[in-house]
Amino acid sequence: MIRSFLTALVLACQVCAAHAASPACSRTYTLALHDHGLLYSAATDSGIDKDVSDELVRRSGCKVTVSLLPRARIWQLIESGALDFSLSGITNAQRDKFASFAWYFSNKYYLLVRKDSGVKNLADFERNDQLKIGTIRSFRYSETANQLVDRLQTANRISQGGGLAPLYQALMLNNIQAMIIEPFDFPALEEAKIRDITSIVEFNDPSVPHGLIMSKKALEPAEQAHWSGLVHAMRADGSLRRIFEKYFKPDLAAALVNF
Amino acid sequence: MEPVRSASTALGLRLLPWLVLVATLLVTWVVWEHEQQSNRAALRSQFDFALKETVSRIEQRAAAYEQMLRGVQGLLSTTHLKDRAAIHRYVETLQLDANFSGIKIIGIVERVAAQNKPEHILGMRQSGHDGYSIHPASSDSVSALIVQREPAATSSGSPLGLDIWPEPVRRAALETARDSGMAAITGKIRLAIDRPSDAPPGFVMYLPIFAPDQPRDTVAQRREHLIGWVYAAFHMDDFMASLYGAQSPGLSIAIYDDVEIREAALLYRSTGLSGSSSTTHTAAWSANEYMVVAGHTWTLSMASQPEFESRLGGDATTLIAGVGAALSFALALLVWLMVHGRTRALRLAASMTEELRHMAQHDPLTHLPNRALFSDRLNQELARAKRDSGRFLVIFLDLDDFKPVNDRFGHAVGDQLLLQVAQRLQKTIRAVDTVGRMGGDEFVVLVAGLEDQEAVSNMTEKIHHALQQPFVVDGHALRVSASMGVAVYPDDGTDELTLTRCADDAMYRIKNQRQAGINLASSAPA
Repeated sequence: MIRSFLTALVLACQVCAAHAASPACSRTYTLALHDHGLLYSAATDSGIDKDVSDELVRRSGCKVTVSLLPRARIWQLIESGALDFSLSGITNAQRDKFASFAWYFSNKYYLLVRKDSGVKNLADFERNDQLKIGTIRSFRYSETANQLVDRLQTANRISQGGGLAPLYQALMLNNIQAMIIEPFDFPALEEAKIRDITSIVEFNDPSVPHGLIMSKKALEPAEQAHWSGLVHAMRADGSLRRIFEKYFKPDLAAALVNF
Repeated sequence: MEPVRSASTALGLRLLPWLVLVATLLVTWVVWEHEQQSNRAALRSQFDFALKETVSRIEQRAAAYEQMLRGVQGLLSTTHLKDRAAIHRYVETLQLDANFSGIKIIGIVERVAAQNKPEHILGMRQSGHDGYSIHPASSDSVSALIVQREPAATSSGSPLGLDIWPEPVRRAALETARDSGMAAITGKIRLAIDRPSDAPPGFVMYLPIFAPDQPRDTVAQRREHLIGWVYAAFHMDDFMASLYGAQSPGLSIAIYDDVEIREAALLYRSTGLSGSSSTTHTAAWSANEYMVVAGHTWTLSMASQPEFESRLGGDATTLIAGVGAALSFALALLVWLMVHGRTRALRLAASMTEELRHMAQHDPLTHLPNRALFSDRLNQELARAKRDSGRFLVIFLDLDDFKPVNDRFGHAVGDQLLLQVAQRLQKTIRAVDTVGRMGGDEFVVLVAGLEDQEAVSNMTEKIHHALQQPFVVDGHALRVSASMGVAVYPDDGTDELTLTRCADDAMYRIKNQRQAGINLASSAPA
């Protein structure tokens, strides 16, 4: 009896210790999604990031308030500490100062360009100062793409958008002649009206890792480590790959999550 | 090589002011251009910032209105859709006129299935809306009926019961809000409360209301459990006027529905900017931003106006251009004065040097070589004659009867006579010979290269004869004669001293005999 009691006490203490060490669920957290192709569609309230956030929330056992915000607003709030998490973020030196990341997929960037612009490569596009590119405000891309965008910005050849959908429309209307896309945007290319008038130019940059964005101001290092651990576990046990396979063919899904 | 170098130097000096002008103007241009570029970059940055700020202000304002609408949505989760009094009180507490001046109407849309329409009409009439009816008539299986508008006074001219489901622009937003569970706005519309004739552009924001305690996680569940919408209707001008902060001066903005920039889609254009002025002015900076507001795309078109662009040629650039150009010309003028001052000074110095040299070597009255220059010529001839074994003459010549001319007619006439004698002597001798004046009425002649005695006689006679001809000075015919002493090199001497002394002695001998003539030194008594 006493032995059983002691065993129960030891187990209870281990659970207590585990909870004391875990920083999770100290409060209600906030997570924001942005409307972007297969990552998240506000129209259907579904997408890869929605599935990832659902799984993260489930595994954490925490209460998380999920909202939809423009990407530029998300970065502002992450920096200020008013928002805890977002998804599918890429980093740069500036973002590293206020955010940490837990990578869960990696992909390349491509230039989607109108065929009638006569552009065969990146230099063709840059040379013709009549051509404009559409970008999503606050978005950064791979190195070569970033350099191209920065140069075009100074030449007043950028039209920015709040999301992908208006950029596709602007491309169709020839208000812009190119935009930068990722594999999540490929389904839109299945539409004949877009596919027929566009071609794809590669940036030849390596894949860029995307991950869970964590606000350094809002989350203690131990909390960041805990949430990173959840993401790594999702990668390790194949949950992430299964989520991606809902939206991509198996080989592409594997290429995205195995990096 | 020396003349070539001096010519190139002179050319260089002449071009120097122009080179300085070009160089300083070039520097001015470079500085001016740099300032322009810095200005342009700063204005570009200001323009980008203003665009970002404007987008952000619109998004924030739309978010604030959505938040307000969520309050109504929240209220309806605690009360019934038909609790008109509660909704009326709630909207009153929002003080729409003050904080939410962009909103014209807050209202409730009820989703009514076709088969439930009679029951719905009856219910509305029993709740105090006696003449309530559904309009326009529709054969759709579902209707979206406006059942309440607040403040009611604003919409007194528009009866309730309007079915907005058949209207495609509103229906698209209703469906988006229903399927997403989030706020959605319509495209450009005329609000139902406006008269068709002068309705300003407007839009409506909808939020879905679902039946309480029913799942709404999937699109299918949301469609099944939707009972209505709460909405806010806006005039675009009022919406824009309600933005926090001020629009950057000198920038015009226009907002178009969707991504097409066309007049029919124009929702808003900033005041003070007519369509014509925007087309006549070609903006230096312009950009289109495709913003997404509550799931709907607006194109924000921003363009710089002359007021903004005038900052490009700001005070600093004007100052740089003005002062730089003025300094360039001043510096070039200074260099020109320095270069030309030096040239003039050098020319003057050379001229004075030449004059001094002439004065040092010539007689000031007759400009004939003086004793020093004659001595120099004589030594040159001595050297040449010694080298070539040649012969030459040295003739000393003294005018007879010159003093009476001076005494009778004065020194001015005497001087004129001496001048004419000098000229006549110069005409008589050859170019290779030299005639000089020793002082007073004494002259000396160096006759080079005479090889024999006959040539000597001819030359001396020629000189003597020339001087015997009368001179006309100041209207007076004057006659003078000359006593000439001739020494021959090498017969009478082989150096300057000997030759000149011999010639001088010979001249004095004949002068002492008081007879004008020629006396050869070699004829002197031993």
